[in-house]
Amino acid sequence: MALSGGVDRGSHSMDKSITLPPDEIFRNLENAKRFAIDIGGSLTKLAYYSTVQHKVAKVRSFDHSTKVSVQETDGDPLYEISVQEEITARLHFIKFENAYIETCLDFIKDHLVNTETKVIKATGGGAHKFKDLIEKKLKLKVDKEDEMTCLIKGCNFVLKNIPHEAFVYAKHADSEFRFQHTHPDIFPYLLINIGSGVSIVKVEAEDKFERIGGSSIGGGTFWGLGALLTKTKRFDELLQLASKGQHTNVDMLVKDIYGGAYGSLGLTGDLIASSFGKSATTDKEFSKEDMAKSLLHMISNDIGQLACLYAKLHNLTRVYFGGFFIRGHPVTMHTITYSINFFTKGEVQALFLRHEGYLGAIGAFLKGAEEDNPNQYSWGENYAGSSGLMSVSPELNPVQRARSGTFPFDMLEMDRLERQLVNLPLLQDPTSYIPDTVDLTEDVLAREYWLYCFEEALDGVVKRAIASQKDQPKAVERAEKFRQKYRHKLQTLRHQPFAYGSLTVRSLLDTREHCLNEFNFPDPYSKIKQKENDMALKYYLKVVKSVEELSWEQRQFTLVKGLLAGNVFDWGAKAVSDVLESDPEFGFEQAKQQLQERPWLVDAYNQWIERLKGPPHKCALFFVDNSGIDIILGVFPFIRELLIRGTEVVLASNSGPALNDVTNSELQILTERIAAMDPVIHTALKEDRLALVQNGSSSPCLDLSRLDKVLATVVRERGTDLVIIEGMGRAIHTNYYAMLSCESLKLAVIKNSWLAERLGGKIFSVVFKYEVPSKAQG
Amino acid sequence: MALSGGVDRGSHSMDKSITLPPDEIFRNLENAKRFAIDIGGSLTKLAYYSTVQHKVAKVRSFDHSTKVSVQETDGDPLYEISVQEEITARLHFIKFENAYIETCLDFIKDHLVNTETKVIKATGGGAHKFKDLIEKKLKLKVDKEDEMTCLIKGCNFVLKNIPHEAFVYAKHADSEFRFQHTHPDIFPYLLINIGSGVSIVKVEAEDKFERIGGSSIGGGTFWGLGALLTKTKRFDELLQLASKGQHTNVDMLVKDIYGGAYGSLGLTGDLIASSFGKSATTDKEFSKEDMAKSLLHMISNDIGQLACLYAKLHNLTRVYFGGFFIRGHPVTMHTITYSINFFTKGEVQALFLRHEGYLGAIGAFLKGAEEDNPNQYSWGENYAGSSGLMSVSPELNPVQRARSGTFDMLEMDRLERQLVNLPLLQDPTSYIPDTVDLTEDVLAREYWLYCFEEALDGVVKRAIASQKDQPKAVERAEKFRQKYRHKLQTLRHQPLLSRRRMTWP
Repeated sequence: MALSGGVDRGSHSMDKSITLPPDEIFRNLENAKRFAIDIGGSLTKLAYYSTVQHKVAKVRSFDHSTKVSVQETDGDPLYEISVQEEITARLHFIKFENAYIETCLDFIKDHLVNTETKVIKATGGGAHKFKDLIEKKLKLKVDKEDEMTCLIKGCNFVLKNIPHEAFVYAKHADSEFRFQHTHPDIFPYLLINIGSGVSIVKVEAEDKFERIGGSSIGGGTFWGLGALLTKTKRFDELLQLASKGQHTNVDMLVKDIYGGAYGSLGLTGDLIASSFGKSATTDKEFSKEDMAKSLLHMISNDIGQLACLYAKLHNLTRVYFGGFFIRGHPVTMHTITYSINFFTKGEVQALFLRHEGYLGAIGAFLKGAEEDNPNQYSWGENYAGSSGLMSVSPELNPVQRARSGTFPFDMLEMDRLERQLVNLPLLQDPTSYIPDTVDLTEDVLAREYWLYCFEEALDGVVKRAIASQKDQPKAVERAEKFRQKYRHKLQTLRHQPFAYGSLTVRSLLDTREHCLNEFNFPDPYSKIKQKENDMALKYYLKVVKSVEELSWEQRQFTLVKGLLAGNVFDWGAKAVSDVLESDPEFGFEQAKQQLQERPWLVDAYNQWIERLKGPPHKCALFFVDNSGIDIILGVFPFIRELLIRGTEVVLASNSGPALNDVTNSELQILTERIAAMDPVIHTALKEDRLALVQNGSSSPCLDLSRLDKVLATVVRERGTDLVIIEGMGRAIHTNYYAMLSCESLKLAVIKNSWLAERLGGKIFSVVFKYEVPSKAQG
Repeated sequence: MALSGGVDRGSHSMDKSITLPPDEIFRNLENAKRFAIDIGGSLTKLAYYSTVQHKVAKVRSFDHSTKVSVQETDGDPLYEISVQEEITARLHFIKFENAYIETCLDFIKDHLVNTETKVIKATGGGAHKFKDLIEKKLKLKVDKEDEMTCLIKGCNFVLKNIPHEAFVYAKHADSEFRFQHTHPDIFPYLLINIGSGVSIVKVEAEDKFERIGGSSIGGGTFWGLGALLTKTKRFDELLQLASKGQHTNVDMLVKDIYGGAYGSLGLTGDLIASSFGKSATTDKEFSKEDMAKSLLHMISNDIGQLACLYAKLHNLTRVYFGGFFIRGHPVTMHTITYSINFFTKGEVQALFLRHEGYLGAIGAFLKGAEEDNPNQYSWGENYAGSSGLMSVSPELNPVQRARSGTFDMLEMDRLERQLVNLPLLQDPTSYIPDTVDLTEDVLAREYWLYCFEEALDGVVKRAIASQKDQPKAVERAEKFRQKYRHKLQTLRHQPLLSRRRMTWP
């Protein structure tokens, strides 16, 4: 099917072509249900719900019903790995120009299999215009939903579910977009929706909002007056004109009247005294560019002032801007931001939303899906399936703009997470918690390094993916597709680091995981993990025994060193994966020798030992890292000592696979095996002093504000007073600066020379951070 | 001297002529001192102080030093009457188009006798532009005063001294202007000055004010955008166009989007959703009138909303509007009033000022006259020497507009004593001296206008009789008859546009 070309709407000729085949846009239509559509003045946003079949690597313990000791099973694998199909829910949102609506409806009709769907929820000004067309094409009844209710519902949804949804725009800053960390409590806020006109809405709770004001001077005014003044009929072209103009040629400035500033009133000379004031008395011709710019300033300033006044009157500090006037246009974001700064003297920041264009569609969809109760789940943006935010500034990025068309199609996909995610109750201040240590959108050097690093590692990942599915169909082909997609994402991020919110090492890792899943490589490391786990288990008792023989002081140090040495085994870090790839015999003892001698790069070991001389902790929560030597020979002996001291231990592991990190299901089998060998672990499990929980994530990093609700409950119930975070991904790339309300240990071996250098050390430097919250902060 | 014609500013040809001789405009120049001038974008306002020689009838008791009882003086007049010259102070304010400025300065120069005056206070955006001309012509040093300070000083002065200064505008009501009774305490208030741009000023006391806000969307925007859209370069013509247009042809209304009202948000179908929204997507031509009207609504509504928000934020209920955008234009007063009503749901009223155009000049004059301490006196408007408020709505009164010409005058007499409330008034703020308001009571108005015209002959006769031996008594009495009859006629034809609250005598 050719979606490109051939569509013409009078003077607005379509000079765009679509680069993606339609089945990569309208994905999973076979399983689609619950359609919703938001038809605006120029863009249509379609939403639907689908179920996605994933291949998931499952581990299952062999039947060891005939009791045999571990030693006896030598040579046999510990557990079985099988790839299974799992079904998860996904939300699809697609945005395209109204010109394509008929073609798109045809495509949907042809591919729609599900016949349960009888209704399509519709909202937006264009909904009644296209009602008949939709009903005829799709044979679905159009069910209209209130526009403002949908908008607010959608806004609440993205603010709650997408961590870096909101951003501040700063034209001249290093990073154009500064993303905000969503606070758990999003209410109250002010939404300024700038469509044809302006609506100013105060939102106080999920279902409580009020349109407290509005203005007729909005996007339609810019467009309408702009068209009359410049004979340019396209909104985008008007913005383009504006971005090239000089408003001072048309506007009367304070200095044009008073010869300079009007100091006694605090008015600077460059302030606009009268928009279009010069055209009142001058007879000369004004350039289209200058008039468009003046118009843009006039409208943006006016809206900015109104927004400030309403924010002040209602005592609100969070002010979000949306609507087609704003939508991805740096020019309007800049002028609005400037205006808000000017009028509130910096007290209020103009906030914009990455998925602003989808709010109505999301809201309409949610209205239709109320019986599925989508608000009870947590949702996560799928980086593989979403287009990401584009800079459409004609000025800033003409090439990219031409290449992408003016968003002929833009996609957002959100996956339903199997569990509800909440804050770790031990965060000192959830509202100021930022998981990521370095924001790569701001740190240019770091960004360049990590993008390079991930690109360099890509070949290895592809190889690993193929190797993990030697016997699977089309593994090479799929792996190649993965390589292309991920490389393309990396390239996009190089040019537009803000595409998915703040760029971080975590988001780069997560994007890679999403892309691997996309092409059915759910767990490329499953077999390696299996092999390592098998191997490490054989040494477990030996390690435990050798530790037991040591004096208390020596024992503590050896346990910590073992923990750190175990952490050297990490396939996620390139330096290590190279060594492991070439020398599989790289042993535990060798790893210990690689470690930096004390004093470590960050060394709070002495304080930790002093603390251990005191009373035992009530309960320790341990966020574990890798499979194999790390978990078995590093973590288990260490927590064994804690258990013996009388401290309860909760091991938190990933819900889904990420690199060679141990998953919750793997950890359960491992723990069973260890319990079979080690009476200490056995007893602890039996007495429930050792518990295993999943963290709710499938990332090599850790976001303490998005954890499985069960974990939070366990932490609270057990009176957790020590949190241990292990590994580069969880303790360095993220959470390095996280402040907890109880004691914490953050430990990792820096297996990346660039990062080590940056922190002032060398490769295999050790971070051993022990923190005790000050009493005052209690 | 021909003040009319001959002055041309490019495309803005002057199609007006002045009907009054210049010595009836710039009166008492012989005694003038303390000049002040406020030069705006298109109008100049001149202010000066003069002393006026009045004939005053004085009564004096005969010398009854030899004690006699009243009964004994039977047949003799009780006291003596003599006509004397008395000198009182008067403030003159004259407004004319900038085009006449040179001619006017020449006239003033020729008639200025007083040589004590060395300085002319100047304010307004045009002050620096005309500085050299003024200094050259008048040989006075131009002393610039802060524009906003002058504006506020002038505003305080008129609110305090002119009882019916402020009014509410109601287009469709019986009386277009509803005058407000000035409260003794005029503070605090909000002044929205709509010149090229908009200044929003909070005034808390005689010398305490703050510009709390403003907007670049003002009169200059109406004028500038209007000129670009309609190729009409004159502000008045743009207003005339606007008064004939249909904004609904250009604006996108709520019903254009939703097919009717948007009930759940409380938006009626006729509400403007997007100014000029229809021109964004329609290819048709729009009429000049419609575009001008849409522009007028856009700007008035915007200013109205800003005014309301600032009034609410600062807890102010008295909101006065001024500036050239407003100045005597019913079209803009109407749209501003509508907007304020809409946004405050009637809680705040838009107030306008009769002498709004003079505020800057009055303020500049007061700054120059501070040693005379003009604020210690009470002042009264001289109805004979003031032009009064005119409806310049081109639609409503094209004839009157042409006749009013380009000059407008305000004269205020200094009252010999300060006037205050009777302390026994139960509620000074609600006290209204007049029993019937003839601007509102049509029947009564017609009767009294008729009655006063009927009585005019008798008054003239009486006047002549009172000065049989005085020079030119008949001639002067005839002038009186003409002037008063003219005033009555004006009041008859423009009962709703009268310069002040018409009251029962």
